Amino acid sequence: MTDQSSDQPGEERGGTTRRRALMLGAVGASAVVSIRPALAQTQASVINCEIPVPDAGRAGSYIAADGSIVPAGTPGAFPPASLAFKGEDVKTALAGGQLPGTTYEQNQAYVKYIRRLQSGTSGFTCFASLQMPRG
Amino acid sequence: MAERLYRAVPADALRIVPLDDFTLIFHRPSGLSHLVTAPAPEILELLEQGPLTRAALLARLGERFELADASVEALDARLGELVATGLVEAA
Repeated sequence: MTDQSSDQPGEERGGTTRRRALMLGAVGASAVVSIRPALAQTQASVINCEIPVPDAGRAGSYIAADGSIVPAGTPGAFPPASLAFKGEDVKTALAGGQLPGTTYEQNQAYVKYIRRLQSGTSGFTCFASLQMPRG
Repeated sequence: MAERLYRAVPADALRIVPLDDFTLIFHRPSGLSHLVTAPAPEILELLEQGPLTRAALLARLGERFELADASVEALDARLGELVATGLVEAA
């Protein structure tokens, strides 16, 4: 094996010290890039994600009081939400709050719909992320 | 006014992984990771041995390395970054 350590900077050899060059850098430059924890990014995405009611594949359908999707115009059912709900709004609603722009009964129906979301429907990932424990 | 002392957080609060030109530092208390380049790891290493004033740190760096651009302003900037990350505490 060859002795490679003699090439190492900063090593003392024969009484002389070869010091490694070091730049302190410019005042405006940066030597540090910080990476936020994945959890923080998850939280940010939870607040920004959206849940359409109903999902895009059945846009226009009504939501019955039990949260099921029924044909448009079904008596007693609620028309679709005009805008997708924000993750943060849904989080509040799941905790007993009310979705923005809804009546009490409409909110109940929408929340039931959201609780019944299945994998593959739009908004499910957002809903699932709202269920994740926070660190 | 007494000069500020800079100290590194305890070594067991950090996980340091050298990656070629970069060094990845995981700060356990905050859960943050930092990608740092020279001279940040060198400064941290010196401060791990004990708290130093800015002047003493600059002198130590000068003893160990060939400082091509030794300036108090540049060292201040680097220390400021390390303090901002929580890797170094100023007292």
